Amino acid sequence: MIKLIPYILYLLLVAMYQVFLKDITSIYGVTINLPILLVLGVAFYKSEVVACWFGFFVGLVVSAEVPQLVGWNMLIFAIIAFMAFHVVIRLNIESLYARLLFILSGVLLYNIIILLLYRSDSIIYSFFTKSLISAIYTTIIAWLFFLFKDRRITLQKIKSIF
Amino acid sequence: MNWISSLFPKNRRMVHLVTIVILSFVIIVGHSIINPYLNQIVIGVFYYPFAKVKNSFIELKGVASKNKTLRKELVHASVLISKYEEASRENKRLRSVLGFEPPLGYSLLPSEIISIGGEYIPVSAVINKGSDDSVFVEQPVINQQGLIGKVAVVSKDFATVQLLTDPSNRVAARLAVSREMGIIKYTFAKGMILDNFPNNGHINVGDTILSSGLGGVYPSGLFIGTVEEINHPEYEPFCKVKVKPAANFHALDELFVLKKEK
Repeated sequence: MIKLIPYILYLLLVAMYQVFLKDITSIYGVTINLPILLVLGVAFYKSEVVACWFGFFVGLVVSAEVPQLVGWNMLIFAIIAFMAFHVVIRLNIESLYARLLFILSGVLLYNIIILLLYRSDSIIYSFFTKSLISAIYTTIIAWLFFLFKDRRITLQKIKSIF
Repeated sequence: MNWISSLFPKNRRMVHLVTIVILSFVIIVGHSIINPYLNQIVIGVFYYPFAKVKNSFIELKGVASKNKTLRKELVHASVLISKYEEASRENKRLRSVLGFEPPLGYSLLPSEIISIGGEYIPVSAVINKGSDDSVFVEQPVINQQGLIGKVAVVSKDFATVQLLTDPSNRVAARLAVSREMGIIKYTFAKGMILDNFPNNGHINVGDTILSSGLGGVYPSGLFIGTVEEINHPEYEPFCKVKVKPAANFHALDELFVLKKEK
């Protein structure tokens, strides 16, 4: 049960992000795709089963705002988690660029699926103005996260600049 | 979910995946029945607490900005109120000015005070009328309360008025009732006094003191003040009379120069 606590906290983070962090962090309507970023992160560092179930529940939490897509979202998140896990174990994703490419591909894949699921009239336009830019924005956040995680950027270094 | 995987120990991983897929499809197919319950739980558990925090924050932000606006309006309103109060005071003053007439043969030249001089008490005042407005030295200056002083120095656009509170200023005066005369002067120690008034003269506290017209500077009949205190020293030819000035020299506003009509 204790093992579940971090995942419950992640789900709460997703809910918090959806409720108000999304608006705060959006730049000209382009938002960070935190739910898929977390799912990819879990797939990157944890096991296949954990990643799939986590993706499944993230899909459930994310769908609270679009209840008609709840089942689809759960399935999509779980499948992406499954695919991400297998990409990680089959390819040697160690370097920072490989990890960023992995995140970018995952987010872009999710955005494209959602775009198709919503049956938007102008798919190409939406792809370039929303999906791609959102994926890039999310990748930048992931890049900062990895820099912090690999201790390439530390608070002490930031303080020393100022 | 462990009990499910324990049934299929060899394909534990697959059981999980199949369960996820089946659950997803169940929800997709039966979304009209399941979704309301699922949605209720997810929103109640995950979204509601954060939504409440967000709403409180927005409300607080709204209150803060409203507070800021109201503070601005309050400052604006207080400025307006003070303006209205000043206008009301001016209105009252001007109404009282309308009621008083210049002495016969004189006309009034209204002027505004630019500055007031004097260390302990105002002794002079600069007004915004000068020789261009036919203001000359030694013209009497009054306000709606009474005699104020006389013009001492004149320039093109300005004039300096020597107030009655200047110790070097003297006014020939008389009591309105008994017509007995004296000299009004001001000392820092005693204030305004009626000097040279005979000890055996008829004088009472509250008697009105007017200018006598002697001396040629001030016309007769200008209200100077009232008798406030009388002291009759023995063996002295004059009594000591303290005068309460008609004008409040600490609150001078509009002044009127008395111009002789030709």
